[in-house]
Amino acid sequence: MRQLTAIIAFLFLMVYGEFSHAQQASIKGVITDTSNQKKLENAVISLLRKSDSVLVTFTRSNKDGVFLLNKLPAGEFVMLISYPSFADFVDPIKLEPNSALEIGDINLTLKSVLLKEIVIRQNATMRLRGDTVEYSADSFNVRPGASVEDLLKKMPGIQVDKDGKITAQGTNVEKVLVDGEEFFGDDPTVATRNLQADAIDKVQVFDKKSDQAAFTGIDDGQSKKTINLKLKEDKKKGYFGKLELGGGLNDRWNNSSMFNRFRAKKKLSIYGIASSTGKTGLNWDERNTYGSGSDNMEYNDDFGGFMFYGGGDEFNNSNYYGEGLPKSWATGINFSNKFDADKQNFNGSYRFNKLNSEGVGNTISQSISPDTVFYNTEGRRTLNSRNRHSVNGTYEWNIDSATSLKIIASGYLGKQSTFTDFHNESLNEFGDTVLKSVRQTSADGDNSNLKLNALLRHKFKKTGRTISLSLDQQFNNNSSDGYLYALVSTYGKLGLPEDSTTNQLKKINQKVSTFNTRLVYTEPLAKKIFLELNYAIRSNTSDAERLSFNQSGSGKFDDLDSIFSNHYKFDVLSNTTGAAFKYNGKKFTGSIGSDISFQRFNQKDQLNDTALVRNYTNFFPKANIVYKFSSNGRVSLNYTGSSRQPSIQQIQPVADNTNPLAITIGNPLLKQEFRHNFNFNFNSFKVLSERGIYIYGSLSTTSNAIVQSTRIDTSGKIIYQYINTNGNFNTWSGGGYGMKLKKWDLRINGGFGFSASKYTTLVNGEKNVTNNYQPQINFNLGKFKDKKYEIWYNGSFGYNFSRQSIRTDLKTTYWTQDHNLNVNVQLPHKFEINTEIEYNLRQKTVVFDQNNDVFLWNGYIGRKFLKNDKGMIRFSANDILNQNKGYNRVINTNVLREDTYQTLTRYFLLSFVWNFSKTPAGGINP
Amino acid sequence: MKSLLIIFPILLLGSLTRAQETFILEGKIEFEKKINFHKALDGLADNDFDNSWIQSMKKNFPATITTYFNLYFDHSKMLYKPGREVPPSSPPVPDWLVGPAVDNIVFTDLDKKENIGLKHVFENTYRVEDSVRNIEWRITMDTRTIAGFSCRKAVGRIMDSVYVIAFYTDQIVPNGGPESFSGLPGMILGVAIPRINTTWFATKLELVTVKPEELTPPKKGKKVTVKELLEQLKGPMKDWGKMGQRNIWSIMI
Repeated sequence: MRQLTAIIAFLFLMVYGEFSHAQQASIKGVITDTSNQKKLENAVISLLRKSDSVLVTFTRSNKDGVFLLNKLPAGEFVMLISYPSFADFVDPIKLEPNSALEIGDINLTLKSVLLKEIVIRQNATMRLRGDTVEYSADSFNVRPGASVEDLLKKMPGIQVDKDGKITAQGTNVEKVLVDGEEFFGDDPTVATRNLQADAIDKVQVFDKKSDQAAFTGIDDGQSKKTINLKLKEDKKKGYFGKLELGGGLNDRWNNSSMFNRFRAKKKLSIYGIASSTGKTGLNWDERNTYGSGSDNMEYNDDFGGFMFYGGGDEFNNSNYYGEGLPKSWATGINFSNKFDADKQNFNGSYRFNKLNSEGVGNTISQSISPDTVFYNTEGRRTLNSRNRHSVNGTYEWNIDSATSLKIIASGYLGKQSTFTDFHNESLNEFGDTVLKSVRQTSADGDNSNLKLNALLRHKFKKTGRTISLSLDQQFNNNSSDGYLYALVSTYGKLGLPEDSTTNQLKKINQKVSTFNTRLVYTEPLAKKIFLELNYAIRSNTSDAERLSFNQSGSGKFDDLDSIFSNHYKFDVLSNTTGAAFKYNGKKFTGSIGSDISFQRFNQKDQLNDTALVRNYTNFFPKANIVYKFSSNGRVSLNYTGSSRQPSIQQIQPVADNTNPLAITIGNPLLKQEFRHNFNFNFNSFKVLSERGIYIYGSLSTTSNAIVQSTRIDTSGKIIYQYINTNGNFNTWSGGGYGMKLKKWDLRINGGFGFSASKYTTLVNGEKNVTNNYQPQINFNLGKFKDKKYEIWYNGSFGYNFSRQSIRTDLKTTYWTQDHNLNVNVQLPHKFEINTEIEYNLRQKTVVFDQNNDVFLWNGYIGRKFLKNDKGMIRFSANDILNQNKGYNRVINTNVLREDTYQTLTRYFLLSFVWNFSKTPAGGINP
Repeated sequence: MKSLLIIFPILLLGSLTRAQETFILEGKIEFEKKINFHKALDGLADNDFDNSWIQSMKKNFPATITTYFNLYFDHSKMLYKPGREVPPSSPPVPDWLVGPAVDNIVFTDLDKKENIGLKHVFENTYRVEDSVRNIEWRITMDTRTIAGFSCRKAVGRIMDSVYVIAFYTDQIVPNGGPESFSGLPGMILGVAIPRINTTWFATKLELVTVKPEELTPPKKGKKVTVKELLEQLKGPMKDWGKMGQRNIWSIMI
C-alpha cells in the first residue's frame, strides 16, 4: 500500500513537473540580410506546429534584428521567417522542455537574387505540387456497370483499398465532389460506390494546395486532397414519381399518378388524376415538381416579400370549391430544357381537364323596394360538364448580360354543357304568394383563348438606364346554343294566376381581343433618383351577338325575338403616356408621377345600325412611398388612380332574360368609371423576441361607378340595368399581433379585420344607399414539434350589418363564428393520425331563418412503410358527422340572399400512396 | 520636360528600394465585402423542390451584394466600420434575405487583446465585448497579392466547423484584420468564409495619420459576451432551418 502511494506521488510529481516546465523553452536569434550584411528589423518569426502547420506563436525582430520567442512548449516545430521581398526561411526545430535555443544569425536572401534558382526549382516541384491532374474516364476500360471505385483503381497514381479508402499521389483523399458539388456529406465512398463508371466524363484530382475556387465559386479552405468527378451531360438522368390510389363506398375515388424523368437539363413530366373527392389538378408542391413550376411569383418591394397570384378558374385550382358533387379527370405533360450554356430555356406543357358536377341548391332572398318587400325562395338542380385542352409555352433567352427576351404563349379550347332546373316562389310583405315559376335552362358552348406575351429588356452600361418593350395579345371566344323554358304564374290582388310562358333558343357568340404595346425607359438623374417614361397603345375589340328565337308556327325556333336580340360591337382605343420620378434610397423609396390617357369608345349596333363615338381624356396620378424603419419593419403608402371601361355585357343594349324573374339590361350610354385607390401597409417583425405586428388598410372611392339599378314589379320580378352613380366606396383593413410564449413553446396570434362599403343605386327610380360593414376579430394558437406533433386552432367572430336608405327600418344584422382545430400526431411504429374540425356558426335572422351551422369533422390514420417511409396506407374519413353543406350570404345591395348548396359530405376512403425514384448516377436529384 | 523624365526613374527606384524596408504602422484600409448572393440562395434550399422560388429570386436580385468598410488602425488599436455607400440594386435585396449583422462596427485593442463589436442583429443592437477570438491558424506557403501587398494564406476554423481563409501581409505590422479577425503575424487583407459565401478583400491602403480619438470603441448597444449572444440566437433561429444556421454564422463572425 505504501508502495502504491509512493508511485502515485511520483507520478504526480512527474506530471506536475511537466506542467511547470512545459512553457519554459525559448528561441533567440538575429535576422540579417546576406547581401548587405544589415540587421533586418520587423522580420516575422512564426513558429508552426510541425504536424499540421498550425501557428503557435510569432514575433518580430527588433531594430538590431534580434528576436526572442519564449514561454514555448516543448515539441517539434517549423520556424518560418519572412521579410518583404526576401525569400522565406524555413527550418524544422525540436524544442526540449526547459531549453533555451540560441540560433545566432539567420541570413535571409533577396528574392531577386534567388529568382533564377526558384524558377528552376518550381519547375521541378511543379509536378510534385501539381496543378489539377485530370484523367479522361473513357480512356480506361472497365466492365459495364462498374462503379467509380473500379474506375479509380485503374488510374495511375490512384489507389483504392478494400474499405474504399482512396489514395492519390500518395495522399489520402478526403473529399469527393460530383460536378464540383459536395456529394452527400464527407464520406468519399458514398460517391465512388454509388455512381457508375460510365456516367463519368472526367476525374480531376486536386493537389493539397491547389485552388478549388473554380469549382465552388469560392475557396472552401479545406485543403484536403480532393477528387472531382465530372459527370457526362447525358448521364445526369433519373426519374421520380408518386402514385396514389384511393377508393371508398358510394362512388368515391381519388387516384393520381405523377412521373418526372430528367436527363441532364431536360425534364419531362406527366401526370394523371381521376377523382370524385374534389381534386381537380396539381397542388402547389406538385406544380413545382411535375408542372411548369411557379412562374406566378413576383417580388413586391412595398412589403419586401414575394407575392403569389393564382390562376383563377376551376381548371387552375387544385381543388373544387363550387356547387354540387364533382367528378374530375386531369392529365398533363410538361417538358423543359436549358441549352446554350443555360442562356436559353424552354418550358412547354399540355393539359387536359374534364370536370362533371351535379348538385342541388336553394336560395332565399329578400328584395327591398321603397314601398314593399318581397321574399323569394328558389330551388334548383344543376348538371354541369366542362372540359378543356390547354397548351402553354415559355421561352427565355438571355442574349447577353444586358439583353433578355422572354416569350410566353398559351391557349385553350374548351367545351361546356349545363342543364339547370329551377322552381321559384315569391311572397309579398304579408306572406301572400305573388309569383310561382318553373324554369329549365340548358346550353352547350365552346370557348377558346389565345394569349401571347413578349418582353424584351435591355440594360445600358450606365447604371439605371434601361429600356423594355412588351407586346401582349389576347383573343377570347365564347359561343353557346341554349334553350330557355320558363312558366311564370303571377297572382294579382284576387289571387288568380296569370301565366306567361317563355320558350326560346338562345345563340350567343362573343369575341374579345386585346392588343397592348408598352415601352418603358428609365434614366438615372442622380445617384438615387430615376426618371421613368412610358408610352402604351392599347386596343380592345369586343363583338357580341346575343340572339333569341321563339318557336314559329312550324315548331322550329326561327322567329327572332328583337327585344332579347342584339349584335353589338364595342372598341376601345387608348393611347397612354406618362412620366414618374423614383427615389431609391436605403431607408426610403418612393415614386411620384402621372400618366395621361386618351381613349376613344366606338360603339356600333349591328342590327339597328346605329353608332356612337365618345372620347375621354384621363389623368392617372400615382404616388408611392416606402419607409424601412428597421431590418424587419416597413411602412408603405400608395395611391393610384385608374379607370375601368364597361364590359360588353354592361354596354350592350339588350335585355337578358335567361332568368325571366331577374332580367338584366345593358346600357350603351355607360361612362367609364374612375377609381381612386389608397393603400396603407405596416409590418414589423422582431426576430429575436419572435413577435410580429402588421396593419393594412385600403380605401377606394369610385366616381361614375358602374352599378346595377333595380326595378321591382308588383310580383317581385326584378329588372336590373347598368347605370353610373357617384358616392360609392369600399374599404377593408386588418391587423394582427403574433408572438411566441417561450415557456410553453406556444405561438399565439390575435387580429382584427374590418370592411365596409357604400353602394349607391336606383331602386324603382329612387336613390338607395346600401351601407354595410363587417368587423371581425380572430385569433389562433399553435404548438408543434418537428416529426412529433402539430396542433393548430383558429377562431374568429364577426358581426355583419346592412341597411338600405329607402327602408331604414329593415336592417340586417347577424353574428358569425368560425372555429378550426387541426391536430397531427406521429405515433410509434410509423403510424400517423390527423384530425381536423371546422365549426361554422351563422346567426339566424328574420329572413334567413334556416339553421346553417356546420360541424365538419375530417380525419385520417395512416401507416408509413417501405424503405425511407416511401409508402403509406391511409384510411381517411371526410365529414364524419355528415353535416357539410355549401353556404353563402350576400347583404351588400337591396337584394339580400342566402345560398345553400349540396357539397361533398360523409365518405370514407382507403388509400395507398407510393413515392418512388431511381437515379442511376446514384441519387442526384435535379 | 526633360527634368520630369529624369525625376521619374529616380522616384521609381526610390519607391522600390523603400518598399523592401518600409513597414506600415498606421493607416486606413478599405475592404470590399462581397456576398455571392446566388450561391447563398442555393445553399438555402432545404430540398430540390425549393428550387423554383430560388430560381425566381435569382431573376429578381443581383448575383453579388457588395458593400465597403474602412479599417482605421495604429500600432495597437483598430476600428472597422462601414465605408462608402453603394446605390442599392433595383429592386433592393430585402434585408431579411441579405441577413443580419451586415453593418458591424468593430473595435479591437491589440494590446489588451479585446474586441468590442457593435452589431445590428434584427431588432436588437448588441455591443459584443469579449477577448480577441483565438483561432488556430494553419499557415500555408501559398501567397497572393492583395491591394499591392504580397499576402500569405492561412486557414482557420471558427465555431467548430466554419472555415475561414485569411490572407495576411507581414509588411503591415499591427496584427489585425477586418471584422473581428486578427492573430496572424501581420495585417489580414483578405478573408473568405465559404459557408456564408462571403469575402472581404482590401481594395486600397491610405497612409494617413490616425488620431487616437478616432480609434474609440462603440458605446451604443446592449452589452453581451460572445457566448451570451450565441445563447440568445439559438432559440429564435431554431425554426429557420438552413437560413437560421446561416444567420448564426453571419452574426457570430
